Amino acid sequence: MAESFFGLNIAVRGLFSAQRSLDITNHNLNNINTPGYSRQQAVQVASRPMALADGTGMMGTGSDVIGVKRIRDEYLDFKFWSENLSYGEWSVKNQVLADLEVMFNEPSDSGFTTIMSDFFDSLQELSKDPSSAAVRSLVKQRGVTLAKFFNNLATNLEELQKDINYRIQTKVEEVNSLAVQIQQLNRQIYITELGGNTANDMRDQRTVLVDRLSKIINIEANEIVTGYTPDGREDKHFVITISGKALVDHFTVSKLALEQRPSDKKVNREDAGNLYEIKWADGNKLNIKGGELRGYLDVRDGNEGSVNPDNGLVSPNYKGIPYYLKKLNEFVRVFARAFNEGYIDLDGDRAFDPDEVGTGHASGYGYNTDKTGIRFFTMTGEGRQPLSTEDFLDGATDPADIFDIYERITAKNFSVSADILDDYNLIATSDASGEAGNIRVLNELLDFRRNADMFSEGAPEDFMKSLVATLGIDSQQADNYSDNQQIVVNQIINRRLSNSGVSIDEEMANLVKFQHAYNAAAKMIQTMSEIYETLINKLFV
Amino acid sequence: MRITNNMLINNMIKYIGNNLTRMDKLQAQLATGKKIQVPSDDPVVAARALKLRTDVAEIQQYQRNLKDAQSWLEITESALSDMGDIFQRVRELIVGSDAIESPEDLQATKNEIIQLRTQLINLGNSAYAGRYIFTGFKTDQKLLDEAGNFLVDVSNSEQIFYQIGLADSVNINVLGGDLFNSGTDITAGSTGKFIQDMNELIQAFDDADYEAIRSMTQNFSDNLDNVLRLRADVGARINRLELTANRMMNDNTNFTRLMSENENVDMTDTIMNLKNEENVYRASLAGGARIIMPSLIDFLR
Repeated sequence: MAESFFGLNIAVRGLFSAQRSLDITNHNLNNINTPGYSRQQAVQVASRPMALADGTGMMGTGSDVIGVKRIRDEYLDFKFWSENLSYGEWSVKNQVLADLEVMFNEPSDSGFTTIMSDFFDSLQELSKDPSSAAVRSLVKQRGVTLAKFFNNLATNLEELQKDINYRIQTKVEEVNSLAVQIQQLNRQIYITELGGNTANDMRDQRTVLVDRLSKIINIEANEIVTGYTPDGREDKHFVITISGKALVDHFTVSKLALEQRPSDKKVNREDAGNLYEIKWADGNKLNIKGGELRGYLDVRDGNEGSVNPDNGLVSPNYKGIPYYLKKLNEFVRVFARAFNEGYIDLDGDRAFDPDEVGTGHASGYGYNTDKTGIRFFTMTGEGRQPLSTEDFLDGATDPADIFDIYERITAKNFSVSADILDDYNLIATSDASGEAGNIRVLNELLDFRRNADMFSEGAPEDFMKSLVATLGIDSQQADNYSDNQQIVVNQIINRRLSNSGVSIDEEMANLVKFQHAYNAAAKMIQTMSEIYETLINKLFV
Repeated sequence: MRITNNMLINNMIKYIGNNLTRMDKLQAQLATGKKIQVPSDDPVVAARALKLRTDVAEIQQYQRNLKDAQSWLEITESALSDMGDIFQRVRELIVGSDAIESPEDLQATKNEIIQLRTQLINLGNSAYAGRYIFTGFKTDQKLLDEAGNFLVDVSNSEQIFYQIGLADSVNINVLGGDLFNSGTDITAGSTGKFIQDMNELIQAFDDADYEAIRSMTQNFSDNLDNVLRLRADVGARINRLELTANRMMNDNTNFTRLMSENENVDMTDTIMNLKNEENVYRASLAGGARIIMPSLIDFLR
């Protein structure tokens, strides 16, 4: 015969179980929009049965909730981290290259092509009227516009490089902050779980932090078994490594640090000063293989893997800002050399050969002047003042020495010479003094526009065309990669949501299910109550 | 596969975002009329666009050069034509001089010849846009002084060339030496054949030396021939310029068309595509709204 109040106990257990499940449903519904949240389930079992004393069997004792389970497929987390890495890298490259494209401003009615056309058009007009003050002044202005185009572009590129440098700083600080937060969560999770529970919500929070970290830098995150706890469970430590060295190891953090590169440690000659080098705070070298930081480093330092002749440092193998600066510098040097000296690198060895000197601006005469040897393009010197031919050449007379002087010109300091700016009559057209209509030298200058030997890419406009096309192709590639990678990442997010996300329908169904269970248990209590009513009040009175 | 509410919402946002991206591209194309806004939209089109812009800009510059060359040559032609008339008239006067009896009439004819000489000197100093056309490279200096003596040295190598095409240039000037000095270089201070002949003729009239006057006939025939030779040459050059100008006009049209085909959008296509995208967008909004709104809650009463 059963104990009198046993039935009530079972019913109470039923109430408790249903209530716990209702609470969990409630919790799930509350967190439906919490980032990284994994739905939870009560782990409900039939409670320990009772053996009946007379050997007639086991008597069920109701139900127990023995735990709260987090529904999570950790394989998807690993997958997400590895794909998110590449998404971070390409989305950064995509953004920066899109900025670069806007700076180059092509194809448009105000980009290089137009400015170059305008310059040569003004020279054509000069060829028809070499003594006209109006046309001479126009040539001067168009020359200044051409030089300013390069100055602005180079300055913008340099500013972008500095800007990216700050973004790198921000990202490194973010890595450090995330590492500290993860370390704190590690401590809380570890302590909470010592009792044998699973810290579901804190684990979700930690995964969110690792998700963010995985976009910035290449990490590997693992729970490593380091031994066994006194009660026999595995003692797991959560470890995050970057290229093999631990960023977070259980309760300890190794931070990253930024160090300004000294001027003799520039990766590229074109680089702005004081760019950051990322290291471990303990001074060790850090190898960044992916993520937003890799993207930023590639566009900030990338120069096709070329070696800096000053210090032997190798740049990342990507066409970043230094690559475009280098190309612009090459353009102004070669163009100025050709235009001023008539120098065309026929054999393409980029070195001086005496037989490659032709007729340039320096060999011509201006209008109403017997001065010759004037260079049209020079560079700005101290105080950003354009140099005169005399200051620019600095006493050099040997063609080979003059050739070398052009290495000092950069896109940023490229300028029309002070001589021309002071007196446009010095713009050379003639090969003899006092001949106003003589345009023999000017015709040579005009021919440079179509001189396919000037650059390895061809004529001046071919060079810029090929540079813009290179930028377009790289930017398109970055765009495609980042789009594709986003699709992959989204797919994984969806699979995560499919597995761990909260479904309102499901929770509502559960709500009804557990409500029914609760009602049923309550009904049991009512029934029991009626039984006792009968038993106590009616049977013995 | 288990589908959760947030998956539906995420996917809807993603799809609508994609729709909007495509509509934004089409909208930019319609607003600018260009297929590409940045090189990465289509690097091939971008590279071609740059090349064609250069080509078109160059052709337009060559067209301006052609016009200026034509004007210069037309001024030259008209000067030569006037010179031809002068020599023609001088020949007539020489032929007519036989019948002149009175010294007064001879004097009147002489005066006319002096006037013609002045006119010839003025023609020798013809200018185009303030630049003297017969002085070779010394376009800022007059060819002749009032007496008809040369003021500058002009070598016959001082040919001015205008670029009128790729590796194509035209000589636009007739050199003073070729015209006034029977083909030899000019030195300042000397007197050219034209003026010398005129001076001799005037002298002959002064002397009333009919024999000498008659003997000048051949000289002036030669002078006329020289002018006609140069006129024919200038005419041929103008002719060539006209042909080149026609070709340039065709080139300009063709290259502009190529440029347009390369980078301009086909409005009909684009508007149709936009309409299409708009329909897709509306459909995905409507579909999304239907899918994300209801849940089991709506049916639990």
